[in-house]
Amino acid sequence: MERPDQRLFAEDLLSAEFRSGEVKGLWGLPGADILPEPPPWPRVVLWITAAPRAGAPDLFYFGLDAAGYRTDPPTGTLWDPATLAVMAFEKRPKGKPNSRFARVFRTDWEKGLALYHPFDRVAAKSHPNWPAEQPHLVWTPQRTIVDYLEEFHGLLNCGDYIGV
Amino acid sequence: MTRRLDEYKSRRDNQIKVTEMPEQEIEVFIHAHGVRPKVISAVINEALRDVLMRAEAVHNGHDDILVFVGECEEALAEPEDMADGADEHAPVDIELTLEALNIRPHHHVHCHRCRHVAVEVNFGGGSKKRRFSPAATVAVVTKWARRKFHLDPAAATEYVLHICDDNEQPRSDQHLGELVGHDACSLCFNLVKEITPQG
Repeated sequence: MERPDQRLFAEDLLSAEFRSGEVKGLWGLPGADILPEPPPWPRVVLWITAAPRAGAPDLFYFGLDAAGYRTDPPTGTLWDPATLAVMAFEKRPKGKPNSRFARVFRTDWEKGLALYHPFDRVAAKSHPNWPAEQPHLVWTPQRTIVDYLEEFHGLLNCGDYIGV
Repeated sequence: MTRRLDEYKSRRDNQIKVTEMPEQEIEVFIHAHGVRPKVISAVINEALRDVLMRAEAVHNGHDDILVFVGECEEALAEPEDMADGADEHAPVDIELTLEALNIRPHHHVHCHRCRHVAVEVNFGGGSKKRRFSPAATVAVVTKWARRKFHLDPAAATEYVLHICDDNEQPRSDQHLGELVGHDACSLCFNLVKEITPQG
C-alpha cells in the first residue's frame, strides 16, 4: 500500500508542471538504461540538465530521500549513475569562489550528503534563521518537486556554475 | 510508487509515439487563471472549444475568455531602447480545430480574461513597463528585465523577480496569467539579487 507521501510524489510526477519541464528537457526520471528498477520509497532519483561547460556532463542526477513529501522538502545530493551511489566530490558541479552556487553545492558540510539550501530537509531544519532571511524559499506543503527541480535547474544554468 | 512510475513510463512512451504520429491523440497543457495547469489528451481534428470544455477551462455561455496558443516570447526580441512595448500575441478562434490552429503535442494553451498583463518591474530606483501576453512566462519577463536594466550578462542570472509587497518568488515556468489577481490585469515585480545561504 502506498504511503500518503509516496502517493503525492507520484501524482506530482504526472502533473503538467513536471511534464512540461520534462518535454522541454529541463528535468526527468532516469530511463531503464540508467536505473532498471526505481529504488524503494522514499528514495528517488531525478536528473536536471546543466549549462554546457567544458568537460562537464550535460545533466546531473540527484538521489533524494523524499520522506514526508510534501510536508517536508526532500533531502539528498548528487548521484552517480556509474556507481549507483552518491557522487564523488571531484565529479560534482563547481561554482565560482564565494558564489551562491558554491555555497549551495558545498561539500564541507554534512559530509556532502545534503545541499545547503532551504529546499533541503536537513539544511532547512538545522537553519532556523533561513525563513526570516530567505522567506521566498520557505518550503510549504503547497510546494512540489517541480519547485525543487526548477530551483536547482536555475542554479545549474547560472553564470556562477563553472563545470566539474 | 511502482504502479505510479509504471503509469508515468507508459505515458512517457506514448508521448514519444504521438510525437511521431501527430494524427493520433496528443497531449496539450491547459493554463487558466487560479488553477494549476492541466495535461489534457486531445485529437487534432477536434475543436479547441471541446478540449477546453473538457478541461473545464471554458464553459458554455462564458465566451468572454480569451485563448492564447503557445508561450509568448516576443519581448526577448524587443529593441533594448523601446519603451512601453506590447506583445502582439493574439487570441485564437476556439471553434477551429487543433490542426487548423497548428497545435502540436505538448503545446501550451492559455485561457484568460485579460488581453494583456501590464507589467512593471522595479530595480535600483527605476522602473520598466511593458504589456505582456498572459501566456508569457516569468522566465521571459526576467530575461527582458535584466536586459532593460543593462545588467552585466555574467552576473545577470543572479537576479530574479519577486512580486511587489510580497515575499513570493514565482517559478520561472509560471505564466503571467496564473499570477494576476482576480480583478486585475497587471503585475508588479521587484528585480532582486538572490541571497546566498549563510549560517
